[in-house]
Amino acid sequence: MISLSLLGSWALQTMVAFFATVAFAIIFHTPRREYLWAGLTGGTGWLVFQVSAFLGCGVVSASFFATVALTWMARSLSFLRRTPVTVYLICGIFPLVPGAGIYYTGYYFFTANNTLGMLKGLETIKIAIVIALGIGIVLSLPPVLFLRKRAPKMPHTNLKQGDPHAAQEPGHP
Amino acid sequence: MGKNESSVHQLATEMGEVLLENGAEISRVQDTMERVARAYHAESFNAYVLTNGIFMSGRDTEGHSLTFIKQYGESSIHFGRICAVNQLSREIARGEHTVEEAFSILEDIRQLPYCPLLPATLSCALGSAAFSYLFGGCWLDALAAFLCGLALEPFLYLTKKHGLSNFLVNLSSSGFVAFLASLLFMVGLGNNLDKIIIGSIIRLVPGVALTTSIRDFFNRDYLSGTIRMIDAVLIGSCIAIGVGLVVRLMSPLTGGSLL
Repeated sequence: MISLSLLGSWALQTMVAFFATVAFAIIFHTPRREYLWAGLTGGTGWLVFQVSAFLGCGVVSASFFATVALTWMARSLSFLRRTPVTVYLICGIFPLVPGAGIYYTGYYFFTANNTLGMLKGLETIKIAIVIALGIGIVLSLPPVLFLRKRAPKMPHTNLKQGDPHAAQEPGHP
Repeated sequence: MGKNESSVHQLATEMGEVLLENGAEISRVQDTMERVARAYHAESFNAYVLTNGIFMSGRDTEGHSLTFIKQYGESSIHFGRICAVNQLSREIARGEHTVEEAFSILEDIRQLPYCPLLPATLSCALGSAAFSYLFGGCWLDALAAFLCGLALEPFLYLTKKHGLSNFLVNLSSSGFVAFLASLLFMVGLGNNLDKIIIGSIIRLVPGVALTTSIRDFFNRDYLSGTIRMIDAVLIGSCIAIGVGLVVRLMSPLTGGSLL
């Protein structure tokens, strides 16, 4: 069952993921006004990862759901705040990138645990593939499915991609 | 008029250049260049962009050919500049700037500073500590990872300043971090060496290359996607080798089995 202490630990972990993402936003010279939003994206991804793991998903499928959630969030934010989706996506993806997988793969290979090394290496590649799948799927979805700002003056807005760029330019296909 | 047209081509190309150098994905670079050219009615503008190069050709109103080809080394990430160019191109598309104004704004964007070393170091340390905790480390592990992160960012800064190749930077810095973590572990700081190292290498992990590569693939820029994907795999392998080697060498000192 979901107990209070479990919820507390989720909240704490989400907060840590938030700050970790903000740290990466600083390293990548993100404009200051986007720190909060990049952090929220990373926090969301990690929260979904944890909840999926709690519901019985393995690392790979939990990574997939988390990637879908955080990419959706990143794209919505990109529409709402008219900022390239890359900013939120790259900062937010870091908690999910298989750093642990890379470490264990190297470790097992160098301690001559070849079988375990292969297993971990394969898992790392699988995680990379589901992250790719998650990002790719969500970025190809039609814009209707995302939160976005209405552009009041232009009736013929065309919101292609995760890029709010097109929002203000009528007439471009 | 002919003069003006050729400077439009130059403006579009330079905006693409800034985007590419600061880590934008290919379709955004190409899209922005074409939008800018169209906004100033430069109809003959054609551009082809790769991860490591821009090819542009066009014609001014007097029929002279214009060509621009430039090859790029590696890009360093600067989201501030990407956002600024994005904003500029949106304003250009709304017709708010003359070509000269746009050039001077672009020059300002190029001058946007990098984050100074101190805040970068602190955020690298904070990020390392946070990730060490997220991956199951205890508070002591997080503290050790914090110290590793504190050393890692200056190390990266120095190696890049001395022009080490990307390959060597990743290999040496992951080895350096693993060495430092092992030392801290031997002194008694931290309970799980693996969690400390995982937290500390997260700064090096190829998250940017992986994400950009995926985006390029799904935008059907297969060649650029492949270049980035190879980059991601190489970086990942370098980290695994650097860390694995050092942990193996240190294992008699840190006490055999570490997991």
